[in-house]
Amino acid sequence: MANTTASAEMLPTESSKQKQLKSLISKYGIYFAFIGLVIFMSAMHPAFLTVTNILNIIRQVTSIGLIALGVTIIIITRGIDLSSGSVLALVSVVAASLAQNPDWHAKMYPSLPALPVIVPILAALAIGSLCGAINGAFVAKTGIPPFIATLGMMIVARGAALIYSDGRPVSDLNDSYNFIGQGEIFGIPFPVILFIIMALISWILLNRTRFGKYAYSIGGNEQAAFVSGINVAKYKILVYTFGGFLAGMAGLVLSARISSGQPGLGNMFELDAIAAATIGGVSHAGGIGTIQGTVVGALIIGVLNNGLDLLNVSAYWQQIIKGSIIVAAVVFDMRKNARKN
Amino acid sequence: MKKLVSVFMTCCALFLAGCGAQQDDGKVKIGVSIASFNDTFLMYVKDAMEAKAKELGDVEIVYTDGKEDVTIQLSQVENFIAQGMDSIIVIPASTDATKPITNAALKADINLVYVNRRPDYLPEGSYYIGSEERVAGEMQARYVAEALGGKGNVGILMGPLGADNTNKRTDGVKGIVADYPDMQVTREQSGKWMRDMGLSILENWIASGDKMDAIISNNDDMALGAIAALEANGMKKDVMVVGLDATPDALAFMEEGRLDATIFQDSKGQGQASVDTAYKLAKKETVEKETMVPFKLVTPENFKDFL
Repeated sequence: MANTTASAEMLPTESSKQKQLKSLISKYGIYFAFIGLVIFMSAMHPAFLTVTNILNIIRQVTSIGLIALGVTIIIITRGIDLSSGSVLALVSVVAASLAQNPDWHAKMYPSLPALPVIVPILAALAIGSLCGAINGAFVAKTGIPPFIATLGMMIVARGAALIYSDGRPVSDLNDSYNFIGQGEIFGIPFPVILFIIMALISWILLNRTRFGKYAYSIGGNEQAAFVSGINVAKYKILVYTFGGFLAGMAGLVLSARISSGQPGLGNMFELDAIAAATIGGVSHAGGIGTIQGTVVGALIIGVLNNGLDLLNVSAYWQQIIKGSIIVAAVVFDMRKNARKN
Repeated sequence: MKKLVSVFMTCCALFLAGCGAQQDDGKVKIGVSIASFNDTFLMYVKDAMEAKAKELGDVEIVYTDGKEDVTIQLSQVENFIAQGMDSIIVIPASTDATKPITNAALKADINLVYVNRRPDYLPEGSYYIGSEERVAGEMQARYVAEALGGKGNVGILMGPLGADNTNKRTDGVKGIVADYPDMQVTREQSGKWMRDMGLSILENWIASGDKMDAIISNNDDMALGAIAALEANGMKKDVMVVGLDATPDALAFMEEGRLDATIFQDSKGQGQASVDTAYKLAKKETVEKETMVPFKLVTPENFKDFL
């Protein structure tokens, strides 16, 4: 397994205590950066470190976080997925159209009876997975760069969302659907629970199954993976399908959160998700990256969005601060990787 | 009925004779470049354009999505010119960068109608239909100031930073707030027109614990997100929320008593007038250089007129 942790443990053990400390910092650099950011925000605003606000932060990054989990595995195989935000939008309008309250005046299908909530959920996950599978098939079977294949899907899915909804919001969704985005179980928001479960599943997939092992192998050295008998095409398609599945789930969560499916939703989310994965230490050279890193990367983005709002930092400056911190985090991470080699 | 048909036939004959140089099918061809297909309000303008075209009958319209990028719109206009459109309608993504579009159309001697957002550069041969964005923000703030008795903290939810209507609507709000010494804008943030972002921003503002009395949003969708956040925290009764556009979703919220006010921007009026003007220009009729379609304040008292 060409995992970061694996290679970090192979460092010479005879180094002095100072060196050990250095390697500890570099190995867990992003986690220290995250803790530092949290301490800073807590010191700056008393409301930051409260249960409500922490749940706010996680709830707000759920959609980007879900997408980031999928894109992590995709980047590990040396791919990229630019289509997730658009797929999210397409899923949101289709799922919403199947979950509208019967008495809404602008109902998309006026004669559609109230459907059990499982129907929009299955539709959403199926459409998301299908978009992902198409991405994967183009990448694996035609050999075009993943950037291009998923760029195409990004444009097509956004267009499909606009056509399906005729450019309008699909609103007034029923309560069982809204629960996906607004519900709580024992005081914990349902989207947060969903995100934790999906992060665990992604972690298990990546670390405890053949699927994950092969993903690392393909990203580490595709030729070697092929020669050693891995069905590279099949696993690439599976990796992209999983990414699409998660984008579909993000579409469900976001549309349920605002009780409305909208063709403009998720604009640029793919970039935030890629940023989260990259901050979390996923290498675009392939073969390197962890789910826990990506989760922290997503949380860093969430803490920045939330904390800068709390501190009432001007909207214009927020962009400059966010962009700088993202690049700084990755520079820090690059130095860590460079030192290892 | 027969008379009507014959009048119609005569009109057609006259029309065909009048402009023999035009397309064989005799239809007026109009190219429309819309700032963004993601903007719900602009889709209602497009609806009205389609309805007007159907009513006129002999019009053929091509719609393109400018994707919030004025350079994309320039290419679209160049294509319209190459396709020999009789008139071009543009809802510009930015009003500061329309000069190349205007000049290209004028140079090709094609009628150009701007809609919804007024460019500063509007030389002879170009026309404008729409409203004064700043006035909408002023109406919002005036309503809030009266309801709050001239004092309180206001948060502004803005559209995309740097967008023309964001700036003008926000300036309008701030201009009125400045007239009241006990009123201040305490927070402003961009929700990029999106409901989910309006919701997230309000969650953060609420978490900060700062006192807020009113949220004024540059559009309705962000206002509806704000309402969801306030309701989830049991604060809706203490904070008034004012949107802009009077979309069907917003009017439904108002019917349920959840939205305090919005501003009706006449999508129908703008869409119809734009096609009408472009059509008349193609037929060499004279039209007003600028047609103003006024905003209207929508409150729980009068919202039924806008459903």
